[in-house]
Amino acid sequence: MRDLTRHLSHYMALFGILLAGFAGLIIFSYDKNFQIGVALALSASYVAWGVTHHYLHKDLHIETFFEYLAVAVLGFVIIFSLVLRT
Amino acid sequence: MQFFKILRHLFIPHESNNQKAKILHPSSLSLIAVGLIAFQLILGFAHKAFPNVLGYAANISPAEVIRLTNVQRAANGLNALSENSILDSAALAKGNDMLAKGYWAHFAPDGTSPWSFFLKFGYKYKYAGENLARDFQDASSAVNAWMNSPSHKENILNPNYREIGIGVVEGSLAGADTTIIVQFFGAPLSGEAAIPVAKAKETLPLAVNPTPNPSFTPSPTPAEVVTYKQGTPAASITFVSPFNSTKNLSLLVTGLLILVLSIDIIVVRRRRIARIGGRTLAHLAYFGMILAVILILRAGQII
Repeated sequence: MRDLTRHLSHYMALFGILLAGFAGLIIFSYDKNFQIGVALALSASYVAWGVTHHYLHKDLHIETFFEYLAVAVLGFVIIFSLVLRT
Repeated sequence: MQFFKILRHLFIPHESNNQKAKILHPSSLSLIAVGLIAFQLILGFAHKAFPNVLGYAANISPAEVIRLTNVQRAANGLNALSENSILDSAALAKGNDMLAKGYWAHFAPDGTSPWSFFLKFGYKYKYAGENLARDFQDASSAVNAWMNSPSHKENILNPNYREIGIGVVEGSLAGADTTIIVQFFGAPLSGEAAIPVAKAKETLPLAVNPTPNPSFTPSPTPAEVVTYKQGTPAASITFVSPFNSTKNLSLLVTGLLILVLSIDIIVVRRRRIARIGGRTLAHLAYFGMILAVILILRAGQII
């Protein structure tokens, strides 16, 4: 939580990305391809946010990058499989 | 004891897992992602290998759609609609037409209107309406979706309608296995010869309601005897729904990760653990958003 208050602007950007992704998935529920595109953009943005945040915090390591990548890929797979079955 | 050690290793930051729950390690997360992909491949394979066990078809009975529609009408003080076999055939023909021509709309790409199916089967209407639904697992979900849409609800609760016909068809639409429900409403023209035949007119963007037109309209074409096979619910029971099984598995995985991330935040703060890695709070927010998406996504579309 201390991290949240210390980097409020970073987290505001993250919440903005997540909110935009969520809204995109709901608004474009009529178009599966667009939903998959939104999910892909969301995952890529999450990795970009993680890299930028840690770079600015001067604690960016390759392990950290792979952690964000794994989280983003898992999130994308979950959304993609659901969109595929709707 | 060994079991608890495994649980701790998997879910709680400890020396054994380098102060981070093993399930949150990139290798574990990647393994879960691979597992989810494998699950989808198995679902796809099972659908082809055992179409009668794991089907995409839904358990939708036309009689149930009519019953639920009349329940909604009764709840709003309206008369019950009686099933008309001509409307049933017309609705079924519309559904088969959508599958054959590969469209999902009230009007076919060649301009064929919903009302042409009424007339093709010899149903002379004073009022007519159409609701469409696809990919729903049961009749209740489809009727609820219609009732949640103002334009479709208007059709269901229209006091002008007297009769109803339902067509349920299953097949491939634009490459996707689907179940389509066509709901036709009508009020026959019989006994009211002085009133001209209604002319189809789209009054709503989603549901269409022809209204009486005082001007001259050509008489409908004679009834054409066309037989279509109505999907029987007994033959199309879904034992495993791909959407529901995917949704449940996704909920399980996401819920578990959110729980472990929450534990991680508490344990790391209490023990003042310093470690190299991503921000747990950010991961928590990301999976929280994924959870919201899982809960909101619904199978089925209406127009």
